[in-house]
Amino acid sequence: MPGLQLRNIRKAFKGTEVLAGVDLDVAPREFIAFLGPSGSGKSTLLRIVAGLETSDEGEVILDDRRIDTLPPGDRGVAMVFQHYALYPHMTVRENMAFGLKNARVPRAEIDGLVTDAARTLEIEELLDRKPAQMSGGQRQRVAIGRAIVKKPRLFLLDEPLSNLDAALRLRTRVELAQLRQRVDAGVIMVTHDQAEAMTLADRIVVFNDRRIQQVAPPMEIYSRPANSFVARFVGSPAMTIIPARLADGGAFASVLLGNGTRLDTQVPTDGLPGSGAVEIGMRPEGVRVCGQGQGTTDAEVQLVERLGERSLVYARLDDGAAITAEDAGTTSAKVGDRVGLSIDGAAAHLFGPDGTGYHRAAA
Amino acid sequence: MTSAERRWQGLLFVAPFLLLYLLILIYPLLRGLWLSLYQVDLFGGGTFVGLANYARLAADPVFGQSLINTFLVTLMIVPLLTVVALALALALNRATRSAAILRGVFFSSAVLSVTIVTLIWRFILAPDAGLLGELWTALGREPLPFLSAPNLVLPALAMTTIWWSVGFPMLLFLAGLQQIPQDMYEAAALDRASKWTTFWRVTLPSLRRTTILVVMLQTAAQLQIFGQSQLLTAGGPSGASRTAVLFLFETAFGRWELGYASAAAEILFLIILAVTLTQYMLTGRVRAGEDGR
Amino acid sequence: MAASRSDDRLPPLVWAALLTAAALMVAPLVWTLLLSLKSNAELVGNSGAALGGPYTLENYGAIFGNSSTMRWLLNSAIVSLGTTAGVLVLASLAGYGFARLDFPFRRSLFVLVLLGLAIPSQAVILPQHQLFATLGLHNSYPGLILPGLIGPFGVFFMTQYMRAIPKELDEAAMLDGASRFTIFWRVILPLTIPAQSTLAVFTFLGSWNDYWWPLISATRSDMYTLTVGLAASQMNYAQTSGLGFLMAQAVFASIPIFIVYIIFQKQIVRAMAGAALK
Repeated sequence: MPGLQLRNIRKAFKGTEVLAGVDLDVAPREFIAFLGPSGSGKSTLLRIVAGLETSDEGEVILDDRRIDTLPPGDRGVAMVFQHYALYPHMTVRENMAFGLKNARVPRAEIDGLVTDAARTLEIEELLDRKPAQMSGGQRQRVAIGRAIVKKPRLFLLDEPLSNLDAALRLRTRVELAQLRQRVDAGVIMVTHDQAEAMTLADRIVVFNDRRIQQVAPPMEIYSRPANSFVARFVGSPAMTIIPARLADGGAFASVLLGNGTRLDTQVPTDGLPGSGAVEIGMRPEGVRVCGQGQGTTDAEVQLVERLGERSLVYARLDDGAAITAEDAGTTSAKVGDRVGLSIDGAAAHLFGPDGTGYHRAAA
Repeated sequence: MTSAERRWQGLLFVAPFLLLYLLILIYPLLRGLWLSLYQVDLFGGGTFVGLANYARLAADPVFGQSLINTFLVTLMIVPLLTVVALALALALNRATRSAAILRGVFFSSAVLSVTIVTLIWRFILAPDAGLLGELWTALGREPLPFLSAPNLVLPALAMTTIWWSVGFPMLLFLAGLQQIPQDMYEAAALDRASKWTTFWRVTLPSLRRTTILVVMLQTAAQLQIFGQSQLLTAGGPSGASRTAVLFLFETAFGRWELGYASAAAEILFLIILAVTLTQYMLTGRVRAGEDGR
Repeated sequence: MAASRSDDRLPPLVWAALLTAAALMVAPLVWTLLLSLKSNAELVGNSGAALGGPYTLENYGAIFGNSSTMRWLLNSAIVSLGTTAGVLVLASLAGYGFARLDFPFRRSLFVLVLLGLAIPSQAVILPQHQLFATLGLHNSYPGLILPGLIGPFGVFFMTQYMRAIPKELDEAAMLDGASRFTIFWRVILPLTIPAQSTLAVFTFLGSWNDYWWPLISATRSDMYTLTVGLAASQMNYAQTSGLGFLMAQAVFASIPIFIVYIIFQKQIVRAMAGAALK
């Protein structure tokens, strides 16, 4: 089977487990983002694929070849490091040629490959400079150039954009997207920036607490989070998740909020856990501010964040549950106001006692 | 290559140094300990004598005198050297051209070898042919017999040594002064601290580590004082300037009493070790060396 | 060197004290230089003659005609350069191993090396002397060089320096298919050139000025280094050609070291700053 397969990867550092048996299949030419908080194991997994760490158990298979027993340089992977890790004493040309020289590629061929890669990345005029004479964005390109010149079967990117300022990050993100169209290889990118993951990746792998929480395309991660961790972690501002009780209903579940408000969702009753206690999740765009008494329930405004085109209103229900709502940019809500909240039950998610997510039937 | 093989690779990098280190330093260290328990001379004939060599040392007035001389000369050198070096560093810690030149002047003697230093000072201190002698005579006085009067010979060694060694501690203090953050002085100025207060409350406390380093390094170095004594006075007159290392040298390479000399070497080693370990403890260097990574 | 308070002027009294101290510092050197420029005959019984002319270079001429002094210069050069090269190689290799690789007993071995900083050379001189006698290395260049290679300071210094280089560079090189030695040689070593030059200057100065080991190991005068040769000259002062010649030897022997000092002043100061930080 072509592509990358990870089979039951386990890793512990000095007795502390960081990866608890991870399995993952990556298709050829697929762009995968590893997303998760720090310490969730995503970087360790990337480094195991690269060969910079050894797994305690499990197999790494790339294009039908088991690579976890090979030294990093023989695995057919290339990596772009967080701080670029360009060799400071070498020119850009030498940086890009270093790996090819070690692989004993003939000199003439090296020159051709380096020139081609430099042209693709538009860094030809930088070839004789040293890293210290370049800007952060230029170094980033060289680091990518050093990776693609080796024509690897898999690119590994470790937080590639985290060292760039906001404007440059957006531009480089676009460039990365274009670049992947041109290379015939898969990409795995580690990031903790969800916007980066959402815009670039074909599929996102969400990590937490030593395990993969969900593997899915970006929109599915957003609209159908596998569990409450994913629901909270993806999306900004975070999804409101508050305790609720299942009420009697028909084919679709209805719940009672802590203050007694009844909400009809479109989550099928089938498959829901039997007991009554669940959590309900609402994205801010599914909760609108309206006049007092005119919405699903009333709440007191705690904080108003004006973002320009819209405002975020952080409010508290009578029972103390915090809930985030959206309003127009011109909102008149002020701290301490009592307002009505119109909750779109159809957009709500339910989470069982173990955190498992339940969503409306797929369209 | 398996990961187990890779794990041992690091040892290959340290092996060349380590093998020489073990052969030329650690083995002799242990061998010296062993030798000190034997009576050995040039013609072999090792007889185990236990601690007899140490007992003999304890009773040997020549060894005792050499230890006292060593401590005395160290005591004359280290405090004065430290204060002078600190004063020079304070005066020369500025970016002017003249300060740079003077720093060079005060460090210049430190790059000379002990033989050149003693050669120079022999012809300053010697009453008949020395610079000081000439000056004294010019002033119509009797030249002081620095190298032949028992009560003047140790101060003469100390003077020579201070002239020779003032450069390194001065540079250490200068480096220490450079480490003091400028904003501490600005804060002190805002608090209307006088120059004098600033010196006592900001500068001096910030130099604590450097001062310990200087004092301990110099103490360890001066306890091993040898060349000055051997070359200027050959330990004389009548042992008044014989230092511990000179005693060791004479016993080992003059009389070839190898076991006895080894015992003296061990005593010296213990003293130096105590000083060095004190320095490590006070400056936390062992910890600094051990953490890392 | 940036001064902390360059704006305020030194009080005149401090200036006077400084200049006096500087004069005391320089006087012996000037005195030596003057003595070396006088004919030996004039100095007999009257070294004060050095304070006035006539001055001559005849003593320096005599040095170049004196085969033993030139031989000692050659010995010193071979021993110092050999020691410096050896220390750089050994300390760099060991520093790389200790700083950037993990291997069994790494920590204990490093502590063992650190402990060496506390072992004075005098404490081990006898067994060292025996060892080199057994190996037949006395009165040879290897015999003079080898003990200079085991100083733990170089290893400690290179280890500290190499620790500060980002680990990502080794990893990038591993992914570039470089072997451990290639990483050391092509990636890490070129980045340590500042540390190498500092260590080189210190090792060279130390080796050139070393008196203790060559005094014991080199017993034949054709294997003396300049340091030991000068000691022999001054002890046999009565038999030598005279005071002026002796002083000319001293000046001659210090010329190489002053040249090194002047060229590498920056490294020396930087190393001091490092030592003060440790």
